[in-house]
Amino acid sequence: MILYIKLFLEFFRIGLFSFGGGYATIPFLYHLISTEKWFTSQQLSDMIALSSITPGPVGVNMATFAGYTTSGIKGALIATVAIVLPSFIICLIVAKLLEAFRTNKYTQTIIYVLKPVSCGLLAAVGIKMFIDNLNLLGLLLFGFFLYLTTKEKRDPLFYLAISALVGLIAGFFNLVD
Amino acid sequence: MNKSLYNIFKLFFYVGVLLLGGGYVILPLLQVELIDKRRWIDDNELCEYYALSQSVPGIISANMAIFVGYKLRKFWGALAAIFGIILPAFVSIVILAQLMTIITHMRFVKSMFWGIGIGVLTLIFLAVKEMWPKSVVNRRTGWMFLGAFLLSAFCKVSPIFIIVVAILGAIVVAFVKPNEDEGEEE
Repeated sequence: MILYIKLFLEFFRIGLFSFGGGYATIPFLYHLISTEKWFTSQQLSDMIALSSITPGPVGVNMATFAGYTTSGIKGALIATVAIVLPSFIICLIVAKLLEAFRTNKYTQTIIYVLKPVSCGLLAAVGIKMFIDNLNLLGLLLFGFFLYLTTKEKRDPLFYLAISALVGLIAGFFNLVD
Repeated sequence: MNKSLYNIFKLFFYVGVLLLGGGYVILPLLQVELIDKRRWIDDNELCEYYALSQSVPGIISANMAIFVGYKLRKFWGALAAIFGIILPAFVSIVILAQLMTIITHMRFVKSMFWGIGIGVLTLIFLAVKEMWPKSVVNRRTGWMFLGAFLLSAFCKVSPIFIIVVAILGAIVVAFVKPNEDEGEEE
């Protein structure tokens, strides 16, 4: 029971403080790895991959998956409801006070500040994951992907498929771990 | 088509199924479904909701669903819309999660997911790159980015703490500088 309450509170907080799209939930989920030990860094990475290729908003996917790995279907339900509940409450209020919200200097300044901060938080996760699990082969592959991103816009599935294939081949030749 | 709760739910369920790989595709999807096909709302309203969805906490596409649902049928419309957009995500993840717990112990799956980790790094890089031009617009916002980045990456500060401090800072700045626009946003 206590676990369910904790799950609800954690994901409610994530819904309340994540700002700027589904990937904005990642820094909070990453922080949970060290504080709650509900899942590992590798599992979070699996989650992000899975969420990117399944239907639905990525942030919701992540909550469902994290809740499920923590405590099954009930956990999934609790985490999913908890992450959208703050949105639901806030959006209803904003919809009612539309004009006041748009022109209010406080809300405008908060948005102005939160945008770069959220972006910085996500970049920090990128660096931490980079340090977490990278070897020479990974470095080469990542470098290649970075090169590709400068060329043209591709579907997330493209990068995930190629990296999965490389992982499979590397595993076959015992190049991983 | 009438704006019944069931129809609102059905529409957002359909959108939820088509939402693959990030909420940014929701705008073109809703443009077709809401404006071209059903004429439930107009283009200006939709763009307004899109901007608002990015300015409130939470997941952008979920916020969009709530705003549009509220516009169509107030509270219950918002509930029907959010329920519709979440259900496909929920079902697909629960099914896949079960599968995952079974297969991740296999050796070849482990190495495959090691590889996928590199793909995920790339996706995070792309997300940052996408957020960058909308958020880091001048030197001041550049420092904010750097501050959040360094604190989070190297000092193990909780992201919630950083966000709360940023919100408090913004309130102070807004309080100190009355009647002045924040400069060239957007």
